[in-house]
Amino acid sequence: MNEQEIQATSRTFILNEFLPGEDPAALTDTTALVTTGILDSIAVLKVVTFLENQFGITIEPHEAVVENLNTLSDIARLVMSKKA
Amino acid sequence: MLIEQQTFERYDETSVAAGEAPPPRWSFLKRYASGVAPFFAILLQFGLIVVAVHNWQIESLSLARLMQLAFVGFVIHHLLPLRFRLPFFALLSLFAVVTALGQMGPKTWVTWLTGRISFTNFLYHLTPGLTLIGIGLALIGLCHIPIRFWARVALVAVAGAALTLFRAHSQWFPEVGEMWVILGSMFIFRLVVYLYDLKHRTAPFSLARAISYFFMVPNPSFPLFPIVDYKTFCSTYYNEDWVRVYQTGLRWMIRGVFQLLLYRLIYQFAPLDITKLSSALDVVGFMVGTYLLYLRISGSFHLIVGVLHMFGFNLPETHHLYLLASSFTDLWRRINIYWKDFVMKVFFYPAYFKLRKMGTLRAMSVATLATFFATWLLHSWQWFWIRGSPLFTWLDVSFWAILAILVLLNGLYEATVGQRRMLTTSRVSVPGRLILGLQTIGTFAVICTLWTVWSCQSWGELQTLADVASRPTPGEVAIVLAGLAAIGASGMLWGRSSRETSEGRLTQAARGPFHFWRSAAGVGAGAICLLAAPSVIIWTMPSTKHVVARLHYDALNARDMSLQRRGYYEQLDVRGANVTRKEIAPRTIAWQWRKAQQMPPGWQDGAKVICRKRSDFLMSEVVPSRSAVVSGAIATTNHLGMRDREYEKTKATNTYRAVLLGSSHDLGSGVKDEETYENLVEDHLNHQPPNPRYSRYEILNMSTSGDSVLQMLLRLEQIGFEYGPDAAILSVAAVERQLLVQHVRKSLTLGIDPPSHYREFLGRIVHKAGVHGRMADIMIERRLLPYVSEMYEWVFGRFAQQCEQRGVRPVVIYRPGPVDFEGLEQLGRNEIIRLARAAKLEVIDLAPAFDSVANRDTLIIAKWDDHTNALGHRLLADKLYESLVPLLRIASPTVFNPHQ
Repeated sequence: MNEQEIQATSRTFILNEFLPGEDPAALTDTTALVTTGILDSIAVLKVVTFLENQFGITIEPHEAVVENLNTLSDIARLVMSKKA
Repeated sequence: MLIEQQTFERYDETSVAAGEAPPPRWSFLKRYASGVAPFFAILLQFGLIVVAVHNWQIESLSLARLMQLAFVGFVIHHLLPLRFRLPFFALLSLFAVVTALGQMGPKTWVTWLTGRISFTNFLYHLTPGLTLIGIGLALIGLCHIPIRFWARVALVAVAGAALTLFRAHSQWFPEVGEMWVILGSMFIFRLVVYLYDLKHRTAPFSLARAISYFFMVPNPSFPLFPIVDYKTFCSTYYNEDWVRVYQTGLRWMIRGVFQLLLYRLIYQFAPLDITKLSSALDVVGFMVGTYLLYLRISGSFHLIVGVLHMFGFNLPETHHLYLLASSFTDLWRRINIYWKDFVMKVFFYPAYFKLRKMGTLRAMSVATLATFFATWLLHSWQWFWIRGSPLFTWLDVSFWAILAILVLLNGLYEATVGQRRMLTTSRVSVPGRLILGLQTIGTFAVICTLWTVWSCQSWGELQTLADVASRPTPGEVAIVLAGLAAIGASGMLWGRSSRETSEGRLTQAARGPFHFWRSAAGVGAGAICLLAAPSVIIWTMPSTKHVVARLHYDALNARDMSLQRRGYYEQLDVRGANVTRKEIAPRTIAWQWRKAQQMPPGWQDGAKVICRKRSDFLMSEVVPSRSAVVSGAIATTNHLGMRDREYEKTKATNTYRAVLLGSSHDLGSGVKDEETYENLVEDHLNHQPPNPRYSRYEILNMSTSGDSVLQMLLRLEQIGFEYGPDAAILSVAAVERQLLVQHVRKSLTLGIDPPSHYREFLGRIVHKAGVHGRMADIMIERRLLPYVSEMYEWVFGRFAQQCEQRGVRPVVIYRPGPVDFEGLEQLGRNEIIRLARAAKLEVIDLAPAFDSVANRDTLIIAKWDDHTNALGHRLLADKLYESLVPLLRIASPTVFNPHQ
């Protein structure tokens, strides 16, 4: 699975779970999710659980931070680094 | 050991270059406009803010000096090449620690350099700062010892335990007493964050970074400091264009200064004294005012982070529109965000990740409760480092427990039902905004209530609030609803805005627009307003000069000074010998009580030497033939039991004798024996006798600390008349009306019967007020307050009657308080004077004595003690002499005529 596929899967999850009814095109790879409050601490937990289940990775508490989860690109980069 | 982050390096290079090396195609003017002009504009704004902080005496003199140092440091820092900036900031921070803790201003340096103070004396100034730096460097060193990580943690814990012991016994090291508070604010939490990031290697580490992080420049002036995250501290360093970083800092600084001044306004003038609340609206004012006292924290945190921005640390907002929170989880995310981030990082996430096998909701619940438990415990820990003793009260426990449950329930709701999120806030519909507004109103109301519970000192205070608020008028209800509607409307408009931050590798576009010149104009205008406002306000409304003067520095407000005063009097109380300042200090204004904490040890002890308790209605008396230091000045008592010179009990011939009955101000707490206004007037009368019939004038000062007018009257009847006075002078003051209700309350709760001739009247008052001895003290006092005038009326009537029966001339002097905390003096004074005149008493109004003093705070003996100082006594004496002379020259129409 490459970075684009991870982004696409994550985008679908985030749109369905947190942004129902929102225009999918408005959620770009660089849309800030954590710093704008779209993903709050509870949502972050849900995303982490999703990523772990979906991609078979383990995310540590110190990795559930804004640098790794703020955009779809960040999420994809995190997953790729964990899978490497 | 050192791991440099790629992003960190990238931001360093690109962002700084953006300001310093513009592309060659730019014209000179464009380059000037993009680099030099903004820098000078920033410099001007920073300078104005530094002057404003100094002018308004924000926080302390130490902060004003520190801001000046930061200003100079900023210029040098900015002009240095990038690689030297962080080491420079580290050195500047160490220098700030030494100068701030040693209370070293420019004068200290000049006097040392010119040889006017010895090196030993100079070293004495350096000791606290150098000690702190030594301890701090040792702690940082322990974090980096090349042994296993957990062994290092254990070593740090042992060192921490030793330091805790020293903090608890700070009297062991009197030379560095002030250091412990700042040491605690620098290390108790940040050390945890530092070790956490060190363990996970999530940020770069170096000596300069560590020193900058722990000793960062504004810290020495702030015992309460935001828990800056180490990783964020490193990763946001010049991560954007310097113009934006600096300008954001300036904006936050000016916002911080405004918030601190607003706090001061609320602290001084909001109805925060429960005993004086008289309507449901007052109670609402108390609740909102108590919550808004938090502005002290948000304001200082804005100021702190703003200063750090000026050195390139592009840290995120510490608070974001927390008054407009629309739920409890939302409040948790908006108020003291650094604290939230800290406990989430160190407690919540590790706990949740460990427990998540038990299920998401269960893990979340346990982690949330554990996080709030840690929050409560750590606040108590922080309290210990500031105050020297931990905070464990059921009110505190209740507050955190209730907040934890509210946040948990809210969190579970959001986790299960979900929360409406939007990619763009502009798409929020009108019904959506309406719901948001209602949620904002609900959250605000609940938090105000919770905050009130937290701030109250006892169940009795809560009962009192409920008692006062139980009968609201329609007008009051309308005002409260209008206020809530305003909160709701604000929530609808701004409630969905997100916190300002540069975290998360955001692109310039994603961060939102930045308009430098617009922002600079706003900050500049704000700073100029701050500087010009006092003069403009006084010029347009001269009557506000006392209000403006009161806002110009951090002083205790009426409630705290009253508590302080009560602490003073309670030492003389029959049962209050063990009352301590800690017990009477309200929770929310704990930081303000640092002023009270500056009170030298034993300041109030002397009062216990010269005054003692009695078990009858008089309750206290002056001990004969004693000498002690009372509130910083020696007070001597005579053999008759007066704080006065020696007199024979029997009056000599050709002597005009008056007895003065008053409270601690008249007794002369805090001034020397010869400086009391009573002695000054006596001297003046004997130096320039107004009536040739008398060769000597005597004023016997029978004033006793804490005496209400009832006690003064009884003291006169039981003791004063025995001295054969020609005149009896009753000294009354508006601010001491509270003493009257306290006196009656004590007689009720202690079961002390009034004398027989007082019993019927007081029984009637007690019956009308509906009070009894088993009620909470505060409730009794509040219910008695409406009857104060009636009690004064009765006292004045009896005073006139008793004097007339004995041929003594009765005189009432109205003595102004040196400070008028609530602007109530005028009202109280008019009422007291009216009542005295109605009783056909001669009245001398001393209030004009202080008219010439613009800043009445110059009339109190210390900022923790509002007794009249020597200057105040002198002014009172001048006025009293001037008013007494005509009275003594002519006869009293009904009582006494010296010419007959």
